[in-house]
Amino acid sequence: MKKNIVAKIYVILIMLYLYVPIAVLMLMGFNKSRYNSMPFEFSLEWYRALISNTTLQKAALNSVVLAFVTGIICVILATLFILGERYTSNKLKLIFNSVSMMPMSIPWLIMGLSLLLLIRFFALSKSMFFVTAGHVVISLPYSLLVLKARVNSMDKSLEEMSASLGANAFTTFKRITFPAISPAMIAGGFLSFMISFDNFAISYFLMPAGVSTLPIEIQSSIKFGFTPEINAVSTIIICVSLICLAVVGLIMGFSFKTIFGGNSK
Amino acid sequence: MNTDKRQAITFPAIITLFVFAVFPLLIMLFNSFQNDDGTVGFTISNYLKFFSKTTYLKLTGRTIFNSLIVTIISLIISYPLAYIMAKKLKGLKNIVMVLIIIPFFTNQLVRVYSWLIFLQDGGILESILNSTGILNGPIGILYTKTAVIIGLVHAFFPYMVITIYMALERMDNSLIEVSASLGASAFTTFTKVIFPISMPGVISGIMLVFVPCLGSFVEPRILGGVNGTVIGTVIEDQFFEIYGWNFGAAIAFILLAMVLISMAAISKLGKRYDI
Repeated sequence: MKKNIVAKIYVILIMLYLYVPIAVLMLMGFNKSRYNSMPFEFSLEWYRALISNTTLQKAALNSVVLAFVTGIICVILATLFILGERYTSNKLKLIFNSVSMMPMSIPWLIMGLSLLLLIRFFALSKSMFFVTAGHVVISLPYSLLVLKARVNSMDKSLEEMSASLGANAFTTFKRITFPAISPAMIAGGFLSFMISFDNFAISYFLMPAGVSTLPIEIQSSIKFGFTPEINAVSTIIICVSLICLAVVGLIMGFSFKTIFGGNSK
Repeated sequence: MNTDKRQAITFPAIITLFVFAVFPLLIMLFNSFQNDDGTVGFTISNYLKFFSKTTYLKLTGRTIFNSLIVTIISLIISYPLAYIMAKKLKGLKNIVMVLIIIPFFTNQLVRVYSWLIFLQDGGILESILNSTGILNGPIGILYTKTAVIIGLVHAFFPYMVITIYMALERMDNSLIEVSASLGASAFTTFTKVIFPISMPGVISGIMLVFVPCLGSFVEPRILGGVNGTVIGTVIEDQFFEIYGWNFGAAIAFILLAMVLISMAAISKLGKRYDI
């Protein structure tokens, strides 16, 4: 009994370590002091300031659009890859696997600056095209992981049966494959969206001058002096991430239920 | 024949990865053998510069040392938590799991920034410590190595909790009972039964903490200031402050080599426990 209490206290301490700084940050968004200092005085000043801060609004829009485009591209690439990969030889599969998971193990710092060097090598200029390409490369593994789990557990014979009954490849995909993997596609897309939305390193290296995303705005506010609205922005970012996470959780949970329900019939 | 046609749909992803991930790394390799002073031609001077200056070697040592410390602290705090989650918590387990996962999906910059506010002089931690009498005066923890370690552990230890938890969860509880009924003390049961079984989780946890730590630059820069210099921040400086791009490319490759070597070493260690 005593042991259990010690265990619970331990868990609570770890949770405090994980969450207290973030809670303080959120709280400070409602503090009047512009230097996040005590004593605490409630104010909505910084949220109000946000309404008139067009720089931050533009950055937020950029973040969302970039993450959205990245998510869509990642889902398309990942779906095609995972479906096609089943027909490749084992040797090729091994190569494909290590290439596709590579951006997960290489520090993003290196991925970002190698793309920067690529741009310079061909004497091109920084553009949103390369930022998106960078975001796609680092977010793709996450979409792949989610989709792979789903496709590997899928019954391949259904597709074969559909083909043997005379359906063409497109019809088979539309009628059989797509309904089975669409929840994983949505979840994978959200996951890639989140990775891109949160990414700092790639954007930092590749963003054209004058364009920014929310993480870049936070970094520059830390570097060049505090913008007190940043606390408010951070709170909003956390909420966006939480909503995305909840959506992924709901979809995956829901899909698992439907899968099991379908199988038991 | 039919098989060949179907595997063609992997090409868009593979081409994207080759063009925007593999190829840029090759260009980086090429750049690392070019001089920054404008002279053209193959040179190993960047690598010579790195390995001949004690500053850079010290920095490499410090980066590895930092990552080691972060990994050890993460292991020490993660293992008990994973064990409690796997064996002690019943219904609460899922809630704790979600709480461990959420920080993965909160922005890295936001998290670092939250530590900055929390630890700063005149910040909330200082006023708490002062009011309880533990501290008298300014806290002075921000812009030290301690702050960097605190931030990095915070960023990476949840990975380790999850991998260890998964290993412990799979473990058959009766093994513990058998060990105890055969007269083993709790300590012996842990060292001879529980810990070896959880080893694959510990190893993947070490991989997921140590490796990204080597390449970190945001936490050291923001929380460590001048005391936070590691390889990652030096590379950043080469590109944004000093404009020694080719030298920067060489350091980036050295970092990449460190990452790959440690990954290989850790997974070799893991093979021993994979049955």
